[in-house]
Amino acid sequence: MDTISWLTIAIVGFPLVAVLITGLFGARVLRGASHLPVVLAIAASFIASVGLFQQLRLERATSVDGGRWGYAHVVPLWSWVGVEDSGRDPGLRIDVTLRADPLTSMMQMMVSGISLFVAVFAAGYMKGDRGYWRFFAYIALFVFSMLMLVTVSSFLLLFVFWEAVGVCSYLLIGFWYQRPSAAAAGMKAFLVNRIGDFGFTLAIFLIWLHYGTLDFHDVALEQTAAGAVAVTDPVQVAQLAADAADGSNRVEIVDGVLGRRRIASGTWVGGTAGLAICLLLMWGACGKSAQFPLHVWLPDAMEGPTPVSALIHAATMVTAGVYLIVRCSPLLVANPTAQLIVASVGGFTALLAALIALTQYDLKRVLAYSTVSQLGYMFLGVGAASLAGITAGMFHLLTHAFFKALLFLGAGSVMHAMGNVIDMRKFGGLRRLMPYTHATFLIGALALAGIFPLSGFWSKDAIMGAVHDRIHHLEHVAAGEAHGDDAPAAGEDAGEAAVPLWHAKVYRLVYYAGMITVWLTAFYTFRAVFMTFYGEERVPEEAGHHAHESPPSMVVPLVVLATGAAVVGLLLDRSMVDGTHPFSQWIAGTPSLSLPALAESSQPGQFHMAIAAVSTLIALIGIGLAAHLYLGPRDEVRWLKSFLDLEWFARLSSIDWLLRFRSQGAWGAVERAARRAGLGWFFDGLWMVLFVVLLVLATPLLVLRWLSPYRLSYHKFYFDEIYTWLIVRPMSLVAALSAWLDRTVIDALVDWVGWVPRAIGNMWRGVQSGLISFYALAMVMAVVVFVWVRVCLM
Amino acid sequence: MSEQELLHAYLLVGGLLVAIGMIGFMVRRNLLVMFLSIEIMLQGVSLNLVAWSRFHHDLGGQVLVLMIIAVAACEAGIGLALVLMLARRVRSLDVVAWQDLRESGVPPHVDRQIPEAESPVEAWPRLPQAGVLPEANEEEELYRSRV
Repeated sequence: MDTISWLTIAIVGFPLVAVLITGLFGARVLRGASHLPVVLAIAASFIASVGLFQQLRLERATSVDGGRWGYAHVVPLWSWVGVEDSGRDPGLRIDVTLRADPLTSMMQMMVSGISLFVAVFAAGYMKGDRGYWRFFAYIALFVFSMLMLVTVSSFLLLFVFWEAVGVCSYLLIGFWYQRPSAAAAGMKAFLVNRIGDFGFTLAIFLIWLHYGTLDFHDVALEQTAAGAVAVTDPVQVAQLAADAADGSNRVEIVDGVLGRRRIASGTWVGGTAGLAICLLLMWGACGKSAQFPLHVWLPDAMEGPTPVSALIHAATMVTAGVYLIVRCSPLLVANPTAQLIVASVGGFTALLAALIALTQYDLKRVLAYSTVSQLGYMFLGVGAASLAGITAGMFHLLTHAFFKALLFLGAGSVMHAMGNVIDMRKFGGLRRLMPYTHATFLIGALALAGIFPLSGFWSKDAIMGAVHDRIHHLEHVAAGEAHGDDAPAAGEDAGEAAVPLWHAKVYRLVYYAGMITVWLTAFYTFRAVFMTFYGEERVPEEAGHHAHESPPSMVVPLVVLATGAAVVGLLLDRSMVDGTHPFSQWIAGTPSLSLPALAESSQPGQFHMAIAAVSTLIALIGIGLAAHLYLGPRDEVRWLKSFLDLEWFARLSSIDWLLRFRSQGAWGAVERAARRAGLGWFFDGLWMVLFVVLLVLATPLLVLRWLSPYRLSYHKFYFDEIYTWLIVRPMSLVAALSAWLDRTVIDALVDWVGWVPRAIGNMWRGVQSGLISFYALAMVMAVVVFVWVRVCLM
Repeated sequence: MSEQELLHAYLLVGGLLVAIGMIGFMVRRNLLVMFLSIEIMLQGVSLNLVAWSRFHHDLGGQVLVLMIIAVAACEAGIGLALVLMLARRVRSLDVVAWQDLRESGVPPHVDRQIPEAESPVEAWPRLPQAGVLPEANEEEELYRSRV
């Protein structure tokens, strides 16, 4: 095996070894030092990832055909299932194979790098916890699962680790299982994820049905004397395929779902089946990446320890969905409807989550909804289905990993100092108490808001630019059609001409949703910053007298991540400087992204000055508004809240104003004069009618108030309630009914079956007299009877 | 005697042995006697086998009987050991002593008590008086009354 194979195995192997060490020796031997093997293993994994990246770069530069169809290196490990094709039944081959390609390498570096800092932070944060070793064993398992998820080269194995990631998240969210809320949050995360996973399994079945394989890569099955030997190296597969065409050897070529041969030939399953595969994959991704309508688990997932939130939100869990969509982008590119739906779901979720985040008081909850919102951006970018959009989505994934891990760890640091209080109303003005946390949190917030030149600026604008290009492209194609250009366009254009014009309109809508979200993001992020770190200095009593800056093991990761969040955009996106985009160029070398259709789409590296300026301006307005509202006395906030809560509406429905109006000077004089003139009956009737009308109106008005903008946002648009009443309650009703049926009908039947032999036995119980002679007599009599019957029958 | 008659005679003896053994097993309560009855049944069967073996000129049956004898020896060893253990437990060879193993709720078997004979010790004919009255041997009288 060569260096790349060894490095690939090492990347996933180190965390696995750490899991075993910590799991086996953590409780008795390691105890307080349980973090050491985990941190060391993740660090080793990170170093190996960087090494792999360098190796891949070298090999890609020197490889003969690495340019056109991307570069991927497949590492076969062993055969999991190997059923030979018997002629009657088709064979089944499942090989455990890892892959190393630019996308995987980037994800590996991101996962191991972010996890490393989170693990270091957790070593300080979790100090003294009873389940210290358990926590680090789970963390290592989590990192291992995620690394495997991005490294394996088959949908089936991807699903295995997809589930493993789900299990780890369940274990870690419910880490403090004595707390009912934590246990419930873990369960919720797991169940909602299962709903998504169900879609993913269906997608896998469909892929198996229509493609006949679950491998990403091409496989050449060479028939030798010892049985079929699978060749996976792309160059060798191409060679063998050429030989097979000559008829010089017996080779069966299985085109992988995302293999080079299929990308070159473009034989994707289209039509309804193709669309169904795309949508089901997206459904799975929605579950894991917390997109509407399966976003409800992520905000609750903060019941776990804060490092876990950082890990889930930044590195090891929610990115899996985006990764899956990007990995399957060839399937998506073949289906414009699926692209549109991915983009719409992304844009809608971004807006929805941002609206909810506006009114939350829980610092971590604000960050959680911002994660949902930013993941929406990633879906939006990937849904644009151009090379620029997909790479921008991945780029946003990377930058988001930095600043969201930073923000969560910062929130954890605040929580640590504040005695586990996370309600932003209870503290304020922490910037003097916690200078490092404040500075790093501010950098993270600026990056999240997308302020130049921090990393969020580059990636968010890349996404918005890609969507903008997409709209232009669609409108251009439609306009070309409208101008009577009815000559059949060749190749890819024929496929794209089928995209109807209304797609462009939807994309435009989504684009505006994204732009509004920029403003909202800036506002709620800085609302959180100002409420936490600025204003009058307040410390909740839970913190006691030890409100302090966190220990170095927690501050150092913050500083490192802040540096990353600040510079990673500038380093990897040079579109403004020289029009190149090193990150995107690297990612574009993935086989999945080397499609001809993508190569002809809008390319990354174009800097959209106008979009960048507009979005920065919008973000600055948002920050300015937050500063205006939350720095200094917050009277306007109170007024805005009562206004958005429709308090004026409620006042309209009360009779107070009527009485006040009646007692007013001018009106009172008129009424008195009229009464004197004998018109009192008119006014009595009028007041009576108005009173009744108000009473009748009051009820719907009060109901409407529950749907006031403020309450909708504060109660998360009542999603949890809707799900409870529409899904959970009916399900528990059905479950209760089933339980009743089971207990009273099925169990009763089974009990009856058990009762019959007992009853029969009871009838013969008295025969057991304990006298052997009697038994012997009975036997003899029975023999006599048998013999007699036999004789009679003869 | 013809072969046939010979066979019949042997079968008759065998059958009788089995019947005697069976009846013995059913009517006696002494564990040892029951055990002996079983052995008698076994011998009856063995005799049957030997007779048929002779009749058919097939030595298989006799070989089997040899084997039965060997196995019966072992079985007797185990059986007697069991009997010994049982007897040690209840200090009695009476099999009814083990009727506690019956199903709960079933009334126990109670031996019918034979009423004590009310009649005085029966006088035996005596020699005509010719001198002194011979001294009555009480032990001997009691013993006789039982026989």
